Amino acid sequence: MLTRCCLVLAVALCAAASPVAAQTTTANLDDRIQDVKGDVIRLNRDLMVLEEELLFPANTQVAIFVSMDVGRLFSLDSVKIKLDDKDVANYLYTPAEVQALHRGGVQRIYVGNLKAGSHELVAFFTGKGPHDRDYKRGATIRFDKSTEPKYIELQIKDSTGKLQPEFEVKVWQ
Amino acid sequence: MRNGVHPGKRGLRRTLRIAACVLALACAAPAHAQFGWIKSLWPSTNRPEPPTGVQDPHYGDSLFYFYQGRYFSAVTNLMVSQHFDRMRNHADEAEVLRGGLFLSYGLHREAGEIFAKLIEKGAPPPVRDRAWFYLAKIRYQRGLHAQAEEALARIEGNLPADLQEDRVLLQAQLAMARGDYAGAVRALDALAKTGKPGSDVALYARYNLGVAMIKAGEAAKGAALLDEVGRVPTGSEELRSLRDKANVALGFSALQEDRAEDARRSLERVRLSGMHANKALLGFGWAAASGKNLNAALVPWTELAQRDPSDAAVLEAKLAVPYAYAELSAYGKALGLYQDAIGAFEQENARLDESIAAIRAGKLLAGLIERNPGEEMGWFWNIAELPELPHSGHLAPVLAQHEFQEAFKNYRDLLFLARNLKQWEDSLDVLRAMLANRRQAFAERLPAVRERERSIDLGIYDGKRNALAAELARVEREADVAAFADARERELQARIDSVRAIVERGGSDPEIAAARERLRRVAGALAWQQTQNFADRLWQAKKGMADLERNLSEAHAREAALAKAQRDEPAKLDAFAARIEALAARVKALQPRVAELAAAQQNQVQELAVAELAKQKERLAAYVSQARFAVAQIYDRANLAQGDGSAAPK
Repeated sequence: MLTRCCLVLAVALCAAASPVAAQTTTANLDDRIQDVKGDVIRLNRDLMVLEEELLFPANTQVAIFVSMDVGRLFSLDSVKIKLDDKDVANYLYTPAEVQALHRGGVQRIYVGNLKAGSHELVAFFTGKGPHDRDYKRGATIRFDKSTEPKYIELQIKDSTGKLQPEFEVKVWQ
Repeated sequence: MRNGVHPGKRGLRRTLRIAACVLALACAAPAHAQFGWIKSLWPSTNRPEPPTGVQDPHYGDSLFYFYQGRYFSAVTNLMVSQHFDRMRNHADEAEVLRGGLFLSYGLHREAGEIFAKLIEKGAPPPVRDRAWFYLAKIRYQRGLHAQAEEALARIEGNLPADLQEDRVLLQAQLAMARGDYAGAVRALDALAKTGKPGSDVALYARYNLGVAMIKAGEAAKGAALLDEVGRVPTGSEELRSLRDKANVALGFSALQEDRAEDARRSLERVRLSGMHANKALLGFGWAAASGKNLNAALVPWTELAQRDPSDAAVLEAKLAVPYAYAELSAYGKALGLYQDAIGAFEQENARLDESIAAIRAGKLLAGLIERNPGEEMGWFWNIAELPELPHSGHLAPVLAQHEFQEAFKNYRDLLFLARNLKQWEDSLDVLRAMLANRRQAFAERLPAVRERERSIDLGIYDGKRNALAAELARVEREADVAAFADARERELQARIDSVRAIVERGGSDPEIAAARERLRRVAGALAWQQTQNFADRLWQAKKGMADLERNLSEAHAREAALAKAQRDEPAKLDAFAARIEALAARVKALQPRVAELAAAQQNQVQELAVAELAKQKERLAAYVSQARFAVAQIYDRANLAQGDGSAAPK
């Protein structure tokens, strides 16, 4: 009986806490898998660089970002963007994406090409405002595109003074 | 024993997840600690108000993916932005993030290089401390314990709170690794003093330490730690399960030392329907049996023997029940139950064979993948659903193994990589087509552009510009005020000239003399007016000349750019084509490597599962032997009794 008891105990403790020694073959396979993961990650980087240089060359590139600064007064549902009166993005957010924005992530919502010169961007934000009311606001900006890439950030901020959300446009250079 | 919540289907899922988690933590690298440090790659997980703000939007873009758990997108986007030098304001943080993500994918060497470089270049203290922490983590994972402790010692106290907790846990793990259990306890006690003694990771660490100490012979101290975990009040199912697990370990440890009453007390705390209930029921029976109270032992064992036979404890109970009856001299009852047990073991053995065949046919992994899809490659992922297989109950202990989970994640990652490469293979075809279109468009537009180029001879305009410049210089030099005459002045000048001709033909007539005088005054007035306007008109002319120069030079620049584009565009398109083909070759070369590794990994994962089921078969074989031996003993006893004239087994 004692033997059996010990057997059971061994099963219980073993299942609980035995670190299994890695076999050499497993380690080799693991090493090869890590190598291939590294190679694929680097290949992805090179492919994405090529894609960007081919599709969005620096001299015509324009990228639009969405960020949220605190964002307590506005619960974001969607963003619509018009560039020179043409719809270029219409994005519906998942809760995980909104959460990522809250935590400081910045979403690149659109990347495209524009000729050098003056352009107009109009953005519409929809969601829930203070007191859980439906809220839709727009922001407009005219900007000049040179032969350098243009980065524009649409910022959703809280105006604690007015207790209203604010939508600002920041042009990076 | 207390009643718990019945697991049900949802509960089973959760139970499996918890089992995986607990077992993962029981092994060297606690899963919860890993979760903590990956969260802490970027310190603002619980963002302060107001947020510090991202100073390069592309860095924020990588964080956007990172915070969603999309680590593959996060790291590749990060590396693209680093390539384009778009994150100058977050260069160090980006490197910490990249290093941490590499580490999470097991790329220890590259992650180590990243952190070492950050330290070498003298990054700011918070970055340097994080780099030392990750280096310590890498060294620990590679078994370089002394170097890991050395790295930990270099941390100066600038770690974010989450990482600080992980640092202490790593310190405890390192102490445990060199058998310094007292040191590990001190580290964990220090963590308790920080006000987070009941945090998940701290509890797991105490559990691991308790088990390690019991195994190392320090039973009393280990038991004290397990007792702490076994009594902790907690509302979460995950921690309740850990509490059950601690009580089971404690109970069996007491049984081993013949402390039946202590064992009973610990096992009583285990919930009746939790995933550790079966082991607890078995131990509870043994505790009673060791006190010679076999009737009391029969209560939990009989309940246990009727449960799902895929659990080892249930099989053991099928032997324990007839054992108790035999001990109570109810040999007939015991004989029948032993024979039932042998039948049940043989059935179970056949089911295990079916499960092994199904695993080797690939059904386990296919089912797991189908039921547990995930968007991206990543280790922060758990098996949540059992696959549909004939006897999926066998798989619970298999899937709960840390080693199996890790191997399966690698397999799943390889499938993700295969899909990723296939997508790029298709995308490269699209890029090739796009490049072909550009070549065609270029070839089609080129003749028209050249024709237009020929029709516009900038040399003519250069000549005109030169003539104008020379004329302007002369006008200025000679102060030729009439040169800037406007239309009205030119008309006036023409009239003056024609009147002057008439007047000169008029001789000495007095009226002519008066007209001559008027003419002189008018001509003088015109000259005076032009002289007055000369400076302004000269400035205007020079300004016009400068505009002309600029326009002409822009025209020349455009002409040069056009010529350069004509000359360079084919070369640029060729360079893109060459890059596409080089990358396509890399994709092509990686595809069979990934496929081969996926097949090898599939085999390895399946064999891990099969090995676990083979162990179950061995255990069954041992049970069958024990049951047959017991049956033989009962018959022997009956034969002896018949020889003595006593009664046969009843």
